[in-house]
Amino acid sequence: MNLPKIDISALPDLDTITGVFGSLAHAAHVQSSDDTLIIMMVFVYEFIQGN
Amino acid sequence: MLLRPELQALRSDDTPQRQAQAALHQLGARWRASGGGAGLDKALAAYARGEPLAHLPPLARLFTPGDPAALRLTCDLIDRLAAALAAAPWGQVPLRHKLDDTAATLVLAGAGNAALVLQAIDGAGLRRRPAALTASFSPGETHDHVLAGGAQARLIELRGETGAHADLAVTQCRLAAGAVARRSGAHQSLLIDAADTTLVTLKLQRRPPSGSVTREFRLADGTLAHQAAGNPRESRFELAAALLGRMGRSDAAPLLAAMAEEHGGQSLRWQSLKECLGLDSGAGFAALSRIAARTGDPLAAPAAALRTQLLTSYPQLAGAMPCPA
Repeated sequence: MNLPKIDISALPDLDTITGVFGSLAHAAHVQSSDDTLIIMMVFVYEFIQGN
Repeated sequence: MLLRPELQALRSDDTPQRQAQAALHQLGARWRASGGGAGLDKALAAYARGEPLAHLPPLARLFTPGDPAALRLTCDLIDRLAAALAAAPWGQVPLRHKLDDTAATLVLAGAGNAALVLQAIDGAGLRRRPAALTASFSPGETHDHVLAGGAQARLIELRGETGAHADLAVTQCRLAAGAVARRSGAHQSLLIDAADTTLVTLKLQRRPPSGSVTREFRLADGTLAHQAAGNPRESRFELAAALLGRMGRSDAAPLLAAMAEEHGGQSLRWQSLKECLGLDSGAGFAALSRIAARTGDPLAAPAAALRTQLLTSYPQLAGAMPCPA
Protein backbone atom coordinates (compact mmCIF):
# COMPACT_ATOMS: atom_id res chain seq x y z
CA MET A 1 0.00 0.00 0.00
CA ASN A 2 1.30 3.45 -0.87
CA LEU A 3 0.81 5.36 2.36
CA PRO A 4 1.32 9.11 2.50
CA LYS A 5 3.94 10.96 4.48
CA ILE A 6 2.03 13.27 6.81
CA ASP A 7 3.48 16.60 7.90
CA ILE A 8 2.53 16.82 11.55
CA SER A 9 2.82 20.62 11.61
CA ALA A 10 -0.39 20.59 9.57
CA LEU A 11 -2.24 18.47 12.15
CA PRO A 12 -4.53 20.33 14.56
CA ASP A 13 -3.97 20.80 18.27
CA LEU A 14 -6.64 20.12 20.86
CA ASP A 15 -8.97 23.03 21.67
CA THR A 16 -7.18 23.71 24.95
CA ILE A 17 -3.41 23.56 24.72
CA THR A 18 -1.66 21.95 27.69
CA GLY A 19 1.70 23.46 28.60
CA VAL A 20 4.65 21.61 30.01
CA PHE A 21 4.55 20.76 33.69
CA GLY A 22 5.16 23.81 35.87
CA SER A 23 4.45 26.38 33.18
CA LEU A 24 2.30 29.32 34.26
CA ALA A 25 0.72 32.33 32.56
CA HIS A 26 1.37 34.70 35.46
CA ALA A 27 4.27 33.31 37.42
CA ALA A 28 5.48 36.45 39.18
CA HIS A 29 3.35 36.14 42.26
CA VAL A 30 2.51 32.47 42.19
CA GLN A 31 6.16 31.52 42.43
CA SER A 32 6.45 33.18 45.77
CA SER A 33 3.48 31.65 47.46
CA ASP A 34 2.31 28.56 45.69
CA ASP A 35 3.76 25.08 45.66
CA THR A 36 4.34 24.93 41.94
CA LEU A 37 7.88 26.20 42.00
CA ILE A 38 8.95 23.51 44.42
CA ILE A 39 7.64 20.77 42.21
CA MET A 40 8.98 22.50 39.11
CA MET A 41 12.38 22.70 40.74
CA VAL A 42 12.33 18.98 41.43
CA PHE A 43 11.19 18.33 37.86
CA VAL A 44 13.97 20.42 36.31
CA TYR A 45 16.53 18.86 38.62
CA GLU A 46 15.43 15.37 37.73
CA PHE A 47 15.22 16.21 34.05
CA ILE A 48 18.77 17.57 34.05
CA GLN A 49 19.93 14.54 36.01
CA GLY A 50 18.27 12.30 33.43
CA ASN A 51 16.30 10.30 36.02
CA MET B 1 36.24 40.19 37.86
CA LEU B 2 36.48 40.09 41.61
CA LEU B 3 37.42 36.67 42.87
CA ARG B 4 37.65 36.14 46.60
CA PRO B 5 40.90 34.56 47.81
CA GLU B 6 39.06 31.59 49.28
CA LEU B 7 37.57 30.76 45.90
CA GLN B 8 40.86 31.43 44.12
CA ALA B 9 42.53 28.91 46.42
CA LEU B 10 39.93 26.28 45.54
CA ARG B 11 40.89 26.59 41.87
CA SER B 12 44.32 25.12 42.51
CA ASP B 13 43.27 22.74 45.27
CA ASP B 14 39.61 21.79 45.68
CA THR B 15 40.24 19.47 48.63
CA PRO B 16 38.42 21.73 51.13
CA GLN B 17 35.39 21.82 48.82
CA ARG B 18 35.31 18.04 48.49
CA GLN B 19 35.79 17.58 52.22
CA ALA B 20 32.97 20.02 52.96
CA GLN B 21 30.71 18.17 50.55
CA ALA B 22 31.58 14.80 52.05
CA ALA B 23 30.85 16.15 55.56
CA LEU B 24 27.46 17.49 54.47
CA HIS B 25 26.55 14.23 52.77
CA GLN B 26 27.50 12.31 55.92
CA LEU B 27 25.38 14.69 57.94
CA GLY B 28 22.42 14.09 55.66
CA ALA B 29 22.90 10.34 55.78
CA ARG B 30 23.13 10.35 59.60
CA TRP B 31 19.99 12.47 59.86
CA ARG B 32 18.11 10.03 57.64
CA ALA B 33 19.46 6.92 59.35
CA SER B 34 19.19 7.81 63.01
CA GLY B 35 18.27 11.46 63.43
CA GLY B 36 14.94 13.16 63.00
CA GLY B 37 14.71 11.95 59.43
CA ALA B 38 14.66 8.27 60.41
CA GLY B 39 11.50 6.60 59.18
CA LEU B 40 10.50 9.55 57.00
CA ASP B 41 11.48 8.04 53.66
CA LYS B 42 9.58 4.83 54.31
CA ALA B 43 6.48 6.67 55.48
CA LEU B 44 6.64 9.06 52.55
CA ALA B 45 6.96 6.19 50.07
CA ALA B 46 3.85 4.60 51.56
CA TYR B 47 2.06 7.95 51.40
CA ALA B 48 3.06 8.33 47.73
CA ARG B 49 1.51 4.92 47.06
CA GLY B 50 -1.81 6.22 48.38
CA GLU B 51 -1.73 5.28 52.07
CA PRO B 52 -3.83 7.72 54.16
CA LEU B 53 -1.76 10.12 56.21
CA ALA B 54 -3.42 8.97 59.44
CA HIS B 55 -1.94 5.48 58.95
CA LEU B 56 1.62 6.82 58.86
CA PRO B 57 2.55 8.11 62.34
CA PRO B 58 6.02 9.52 61.43
CA LEU B 59 4.34 11.80 58.88
CA ALA B 60 0.99 12.29 60.58
CA ARG B 61 2.64 13.65 63.73
CA LEU B 62 4.21 16.42 61.65
CA PHE B 63 0.76 17.64 60.66
CA THR B 64 -1.05 17.24 63.96
CA PRO B 65 -2.01 20.57 65.56
CA GLY B 66 -0.18 21.07 68.83
CA ASP B 67 2.32 18.25 68.23
CA PRO B 68 5.89 19.55 68.56
CA ALA B 69 7.25 16.89 66.15
CA ALA B 70 7.35 19.23 63.14
CA LEU B 71 9.30 21.93 64.93
CA ARG B 72 11.66 19.36 66.46
CA LEU B 73 12.30 17.77 63.08
CA THR B 74 13.03 21.00 61.25
CA CYS B 75 15.00 22.68 64.05
CA ASP B 76 17.15 19.59 64.47
CA LEU B 77 17.95 19.46 60.75
CA ILE B 78 18.47 23.20 60.32
CA ASP B 79 20.74 23.34 63.39
CA ARG B 80 22.88 20.56 61.95
CA LEU B 81 23.02 22.10 58.48
CA ALA B 82 23.72 25.60 59.78
CA ALA B 83 26.58 24.33 61.94
CA ALA B 84 28.05 22.38 59.03
CA LEU B 85 27.80 25.40 56.70
CA ALA B 86 29.34 27.67 59.33
CA ALA B 87 32.33 25.35 59.45
CA ALA B 88 32.49 24.91 55.66
CA PRO B 89 30.73 27.78 53.85
CA TRP B 90 31.49 26.38 50.38
CA GLY B 91 29.54 23.22 50.93
CA GLN B 92 26.24 22.54 49.18
CA VAL B 93 23.34 21.35 51.29
CA PRO B 94 22.71 17.75 50.18
CA LEU B 95 18.97 18.32 49.85
CA ARG B 96 17.20 19.86 46.88
CA HIS B 97 16.88 23.54 47.55
CA LYS B 98 16.09 26.85 45.91
CA LEU B 99 16.47 30.42 47.00
CA ASP B 100 15.29 33.63 45.40
CA ASP B 101 14.54 37.07 46.80
CA THR B 102 11.28 35.90 48.33
CA ALA B 103 11.20 32.19 48.99
CA ALA B 104 13.66 29.63 50.29
CA THR B 105 12.69 26.02 49.77
CA LEU B 106 14.27 22.84 50.98
CA VAL B 107 12.98 19.41 49.96
CA LEU B 108 13.46 17.30 53.08
CA ALA B 109 12.33 14.07 51.48
CA GLY B 110 10.74 12.91 48.26
CA ALA B 111 9.21 9.65 47.08
CA GLY B 112 7.27 9.05 43.88
CA ASN B 113 4.63 11.73 43.62
CA ALA B 114 5.00 12.89 47.21
CA ALA B 115 7.38 15.38 48.80
CA LEU B 116 8.00 16.89 52.21
CA VAL B 117 9.14 20.48 51.79
CA LEU B 118 10.20 23.24 54.11
CA GLN B 119 9.50 26.72 52.79
CA ALA B 120 10.31 30.16 54.14
CA ILE B 121 8.67 33.21 52.57
CA ASP B 122 10.23 36.57 53.25
CA GLY B 123 7.68 39.32 53.87
CA ALA B 124 9.86 42.09 52.42
CA GLY B 125 10.49 40.08 49.26
CA LEU B 126 6.81 39.33 48.93
CA ARG B 127 5.96 43.04 49.10
CA ARG B 128 8.14 43.66 46.05
CA ARG B 129 6.23 41.14 44.00
CA PRO B 130 3.28 42.18 41.86
CA ALA B 131 -0.18 41.29 43.11
CA ALA B 132 -1.49 37.90 42.03
CA LEU B 133 -3.59 37.97 38.87
CA THR B 134 -4.41 34.29 38.78
CA ALA B 135 -4.95 31.29 41.03
CA SER B 136 -3.51 27.93 40.08
CA PHE B 137 -5.25 24.63 40.82
CA SER B 138 -3.10 21.51 40.78
CA PRO B 139 -4.80 18.20 41.48
CA GLY B 140 -3.39 16.51 44.53
CA GLU B 141 -3.31 16.89 48.25
CA THR B 142 -1.33 19.40 50.28
CA HIS B 143 -0.92 19.57 54.04
CA ASP B 144 0.52 22.80 55.46
CA HIS B 145 1.87 23.30 58.96
CA VAL B 146 2.89 26.89 59.76
CA LEU B 147 5.95 26.62 62.00
CA ALA B 148 6.79 30.29 62.47
CA GLY B 149 5.65 33.74 61.44
CA GLY B 150 2.28 34.85 60.22
CA ALA B 151 0.70 35.90 56.95
CA GLN B 152 -2.38 37.30 55.32
CA ALA B 153 -3.66 34.95 52.67
CA ARG B 154 -6.62 34.14 50.45
CA LEU B 155 -8.10 30.72 50.03
CA ILE B 156 -9.47 30.50 46.50
CA GLU B 157 -12.05 27.80 45.96
CA LEU B 158 -13.15 26.49 42.60
CA ARG B 159 -16.90 26.03 43.03
CA GLY B 160 -17.80 25.08 39.49
CA GLU B 161 -16.96 25.51 35.85
CA THR B 162 -18.76 26.48 32.67
CA GLY B 163 -16.63 25.93 29.60
CA ALA B 164 -13.36 27.75 30.18
CA HIS B 165 -14.83 29.88 32.96
CA ALA B 166 -14.60 29.11 36.68
CA ASP B 167 -16.76 30.19 39.56
CA LEU B 168 -14.20 31.20 42.17
CA ALA B 169 -14.96 31.94 45.82
CA VAL B 170 -12.42 33.94 47.80
CA THR B 171 -12.01 33.72 51.58
CA GLN B 172 -9.58 35.95 53.41
CA CYS B 173 -7.62 34.05 56.03
CA ARG B 174 -4.88 34.60 58.56
CA LEU B 175 -2.02 32.12 58.83
CA ALA B 176 -0.40 31.90 62.25
CA ALA B 177 2.23 29.66 63.81
CA GLY B 178 0.76 26.31 64.73
CA ALA B 179 -1.92 26.35 62.03
CA VAL B 180 -2.37 23.08 60.18
CA ALA B 181 -4.50 22.84 57.06
CA ARG B 182 -5.23 20.33 54.32
CA ARG B 183 -6.06 21.43 50.80
CA SER B 184 -7.40 19.57 47.84
CA GLY B 185 -5.43 21.17 45.04
CA ALA B 186 -8.01 20.51 42.33
CA HIS B 187 -10.47 22.84 44.07
CA GLN B 188 -8.47 24.93 46.51
CA SER B 189 -5.57 27.28 46.03
CA LEU B 190 -3.80 29.35 48.68
CA LEU B 191 -2.45 32.78 47.77
CA ILE B 192 -0.19 34.42 50.32
CA ASP B 193 -0.61 38.19 50.03
CA ALA B 194 1.61 39.47 52.84
CA ALA B 195 3.88 37.95 55.45
CA ASP B 196 4.68 39.78 58.70
CA THR B 197 8.33 38.80 58.81
CA THR B 198 9.19 35.36 57.53
CA LEU B 199 6.56 32.69 57.14
CA VAL B 200 7.98 29.20 57.66
CA THR B 201 5.80 26.33 56.53
CA LEU B 202 6.28 22.58 56.39
CA LYS B 203 4.42 21.15 53.42
CA LEU B 204 3.46 17.64 52.50
CA GLN B 205 2.35 17.22 48.90
CA ARG B 206 0.99 14.32 46.93
CA ARG B 207 0.15 14.63 43.26
CA PRO B 208 -1.99 12.20 41.26
CA PRO B 209 0.14 9.77 39.24
CA SER B 210 -0.92 10.76 35.72
CA GLY B 211 -3.48 12.29 33.44
CA SER B 212 -4.18 15.38 35.53
CA VAL B 213 -3.78 19.01 34.51
CA THR B 214 -2.98 22.14 36.48
CA ARG B 215 -5.24 25.04 35.58
CA GLU B 216 -4.73 28.70 36.17
CA PHE B 217 -7.77 30.97 36.31
CA ARG B 218 -7.88 34.77 36.34
CA LEU B 219 -9.00 36.09 39.69
CA ALA B 220 -10.78 39.05 38.08
CA ASP B 221 -13.25 37.13 35.95
CA GLY B 222 -12.57 33.40 36.37
CA THR B 223 -11.45 32.81 32.78
CA LEU B 224 -8.92 30.08 32.09
CA ALA B 225 -5.51 31.70 31.65
CA HIS B 226 -3.40 28.60 31.23
CA GLN B 227 -3.39 24.84 31.49
CA ALA B 228 -0.34 22.68 32.11
CA ALA B 229 0.47 19.03 32.70
CA GLY B 230 -0.13 18.16 36.35
CA ASN B 231 2.65 15.63 36.56
CA PRO B 232 6.26 15.86 35.36
CA ARG B 233 6.11 12.30 34.03
CA GLU B 234 3.57 13.31 31.38
CA SER B 235 5.74 16.18 30.20
CA ARG B 236 8.80 13.96 30.03
CA PHE B 237 6.94 11.44 27.90
CA GLU B 238 5.61 14.23 25.68
CA LEU B 239 9.12 15.54 25.14
CA ALA B 240 10.32 12.01 24.42
CA ALA B 241 7.53 11.49 21.88
CA ALA B 242 8.43 14.76 20.14
CA LEU B 243 12.08 13.77 20.10
CA LEU B 244 11.33 10.38 18.56
CA GLY B 245 9.35 12.20 15.89
CA ARG B 246 12.15 14.65 15.11
CA MET B 247 14.64 11.78 14.98
CA GLY B 248 12.45 10.02 12.42
CA ARG B 249 12.33 6.88 14.57
CA SER B 250 9.61 5.03 12.66
CA ASP B 251 10.41 1.93 14.73
CA ALA B 252 8.80 3.80 17.67
CA ALA B 253 5.46 4.14 15.86
CA PRO B 254 3.84 1.08 17.56
CA LEU B 255 4.88 2.42 20.97
CA LEU B 256 3.50 5.86 20.18
CA ALA B 257 0.25 4.30 18.93
CA ALA B 258 -0.05 2.38 22.20
CA MET B 259 0.60 5.56 24.22
CA ALA B 260 -2.09 7.37 22.24
CA GLU B 261 -4.59 4.65 23.05
CA GLU B 262 -3.83 4.55 26.78
CA HIS B 263 -6.01 6.34 29.30
CA GLY B 264 -3.44 8.97 30.28
CA GLY B 265 -3.37 12.73 29.87
CA GLN B 266 -5.13 13.98 26.77
CA SER B 267 -2.25 16.20 25.73
CA LEU B 268 0.29 13.37 25.91
CA ARG B 269 -2.01 11.01 24.04
CA TRP B 270 -2.71 13.56 21.28
CA GLN B 271 0.96 14.41 20.89
CA SER B 272 1.82 10.70 20.68
CA LEU B 273 -0.87 10.22 18.06
CA LYS B 274 0.42 13.09 15.92
CA GLU B 275 3.99 11.89 16.13
CA CYS B 276 2.85 8.37 15.23
CA LEU B 277 1.01 9.72 12.18
CA GLY B 278 4.16 11.58 11.15
CA LEU B 279 6.38 8.53 11.52
CA ASP B 280 4.07 5.85 10.13
CA SER B 281 0.84 7.14 8.67
CA GLY B 282 -0.63 3.62 8.43
CA ALA B 283 -0.08 2.76 12.09
CA GLY B 284 -1.10 6.26 13.15
CA PHE B 285 -4.28 6.24 11.13
CA ALA B 286 -5.25 2.82 12.49
CA ALA B 287 -4.79 4.12 16.06
CA LEU B 288 -6.68 7.30 15.17
CA SER B 289 -9.59 5.27 13.83
CA ARG B 290 -9.76 3.10 16.96
CA ILE B 291 -9.80 6.16 19.22
CA ALA B 292 -12.44 7.87 17.07
CA ALA B 293 -14.68 4.81 17.44
CA ARG B 294 -14.53 4.78 21.23
CA THR B 295 -17.38 5.88 23.42
CA GLY B 296 -16.58 7.93 26.49
CA ASP B 297 -13.07 8.82 25.37
CA PRO B 298 -12.58 12.62 25.43
CA LEU B 299 -10.30 12.30 22.40
CA ALA B 300 -12.93 10.48 20.32
CA ALA B 301 -14.45 13.67 18.87
CA PRO B 302 -11.19 15.41 17.87
CA ALA B 303 -9.90 12.06 16.57
CA ALA B 304 -13.01 11.62 14.43
CA ALA B 305 -12.63 15.15 13.03
CA LEU B 306 -8.96 14.58 12.24
CA ARG B 307 -9.78 11.22 10.66
CA THR B 308 -12.29 12.85 8.32
CA GLN B 309 -9.79 15.57 7.45
CA LEU B 310 -7.05 13.03 6.68
CA LEU B 311 -9.33 10.83 4.59
CA THR B 312 -10.19 13.87 2.47
CA SER B 313 -6.54 14.79 1.99
CA TYR B 314 -5.24 11.21 1.66
CA PRO B 315 -8.00 8.85 0.41
CA GLN B 316 -5.50 6.00 0.29
CA LEU B 317 -5.52 5.94 4.11
CA ALA B 318 -8.92 4.20 3.92
CA GLY B 319 -6.93 1.02 3.36
CA ALA B 320 -5.13 1.43 6.67
CA MET B 321 -8.27 1.25 8.77
CA PRO B 322 -8.32 -1.43 11.45
CA CYS B 323 -10.23 -4.61 10.74
CA PRO B 324 -13.56 -4.80 12.58
CA ALA B 325 -13.28 -7.03 15.65
